[in-house]
Amino acid sequence: MERQFRYGLTILLSTVALIQFVQVIWRYILQAPLMGLEELLVYPTLWLYLLGSVNASREDTQIKANVLDVFLKTERSRLAVRIVADVMTVIVSGWLTYWAWDYFMYALKIWKESPTLYIPTFYAECSLFVGLFFMTGYGVKHLVANIRRFQLANQKTIKNSLPTVTEGSA
Amino acid sequence: MVEISLIAIALLVVMLSFGVPLPFCFGGALMFMTLVGGATMKGTMLWGFSQLSNPVLLCIPLFVFAGAIMSESGIAQSLLNFVNIFVGRIRGGLGIVASLSCAIIGAISGSGLTGVAATGPLLIPEMAAKGYPRGYATALVANSSILGLLIPPSVTMIVYGWVTDTSILACFLATVGPGLLIMLLFAIVNLVMCRNFPLVLDEPKPIAETLRFAGSSTLIALPALVMPIIILGGIYGGIMTPTEAAAVAVVYAFPVGFLVYKGMTWKKFFKASKDAATAIGAIMVMIVFSLMLSQIFVMEEIPQALVEGIFTITTDKTLLLILVNLLLFFIGMIVNDITSIILTAPLLLPLMQAIGVSPIHFAAIIGVNTAMGGVTPPYASILYLGVRIGEVEFVDVIKPAMTLILFGYVPVVFLTSFWPELALFLPSLLGY
Repeated sequence: MERQFRYGLTILLSTVALIQFVQVIWRYILQAPLMGLEELLVYPTLWLYLLGSVNASREDTQIKANVLDVFLKTERSRLAVRIVADVMTVIVSGWLTYWAWDYFMYALKIWKESPTLYIPTFYAECSLFVGLFFMTGYGVKHLVANIRRFQLANQKTIKNSLPTVTEGSA
Repeated sequence: MVEISLIAIALLVVMLSFGVPLPFCFGGALMFMTLVGGATMKGTMLWGFSQLSNPVLLCIPLFVFAGAIMSESGIAQSLLNFVNIFVGRIRGGLGIVASLSCAIIGAISGSGLTGVAATGPLLIPEMAAKGYPRGYATALVANSSILGLLIPPSVTMIVYGWVTDTSILACFLATVGPGLLIMLLFAIVNLVMCRNFPLVLDEPKPIAETLRFAGSSTLIALPALVMPIIILGGIYGGIMTPTEAAAVAVVYAFPVGFLVYKGMTWKKFFKASKDAATAIGAIMVMIVFSLMLSQIFVMEEIPQALVEGIFTITTDKTLLLILVNLLLFFIGMIVNDITSIILTAPLLLPLMQAIGVSPIHFAAIIGVNTAMGGVTPPYASILYLGVRIGEVEFVDVIKPAMTLILFGYVPVVFLTSFWPELALFLPSLLGY
């Protein structure tokens, strides 16, 4: 997935910059603004935003504050807080995905076209549902991973607290 | 409804403290407002998503992209050499070089993190070799890099301008005065503190050699120095919009990175692009949900209720400004700059306007406070990055960092708040 995101996001970002630059050249140097270029720009832009955010969820690099971590000393307590945060993330993300699905169906039903180039706006609008769907998926993935880590940390703590044969006999 | 909104804000803060990703913190508050407060999500989702295609917002990814290309291109060394021409011979001059270089890189990239990432690996070891304590060098580089948020083009000011419907160009100019003043104060603090360091000064070189070095350094630094001129000249000259200037910056950065400084490789380019796009995605999705929440608050007239509520406690402008500064500082301590602006600007602006603070003046107040928040723990992302790059313990950095904050940022926060001309002078020159 790393490769796909690296190339996909680079292509989207470069396309957005290039379209905008072409507009500058046509508008200010050739004095003939290209009609519809701004409409075209919306498609890679929205996909860039949503897929960029999906990648942030995949890499677990979404912006977070983690205030409680400052006060927690043990790995176990930090993991417990992470699990609570992941549960909240999945619930909220799932709820937002539900509304994004509603918007997706609405956009599909209306099938609006852009005013100049007549491109269906659905192709840009569906990015919200696709993006949130994958963000929720990655949220679930992180939750499962953190639960496993927590269980492992628990087992380690139990193991460490059990008296060894030598300690027991003494 | 005010009570429900306050609970929604409290829920947002709780989720934020637990480490829920910011977009979903705003989403959680939205969920609460919908399920408990009866707000409608259908129209809000439609409105929020339509805001994302606003061309003004597009300058954020493009500036971030241009900054990423430039910082990977290896311009930092040439900029350091260039600044060194002017202050390199002064005792403590290297500290001033650090401050100035970070500000220039900030001007190019619009971000504080870029400044630390680009100049830290070069400056911190160099300063340590010349007798500066490593902790101090790291603190100075990290604090100076924040100036990138105040010297235009600044991503935080784009976000502020957008969420408060204020001219982005005016917001850019409003933070220049405070930014330059902080830079000056850092230089003074640095000179004072350097008196206690066992610094190793360069042997004076013959004038001919110095001039030759100055000439070559200026020539090499020129392509990097031209970039902010193209961006700002284009915008303020009325030639281009900020978004168009950002696109030009990307296209300009590309050959400069690959062919002039030759630090950029395809591998680095793909990584920088992916990192920039990921950062942009995280910011944009957060912005869209925060906007949706703000929209619900506006529809329920929460900012007005907040103003009325606060006015029942006090109407004293000085006291309110102090309280707002404390609030902004506190929020800046726990969240990053953009989040801080999104959280506070739409709610506090009506209060500020009610006590006679203009949106442009408030841009500078919020800009300086959020910048200071970036180097104030616990959420001191830029300071933490500096610690990692400087390979130094956090305890060694915190004391000099606090000294710089106390004598660099705090006076400017107060001056910006209580002496509006500091922020408004430049915008007023251009008719804002």
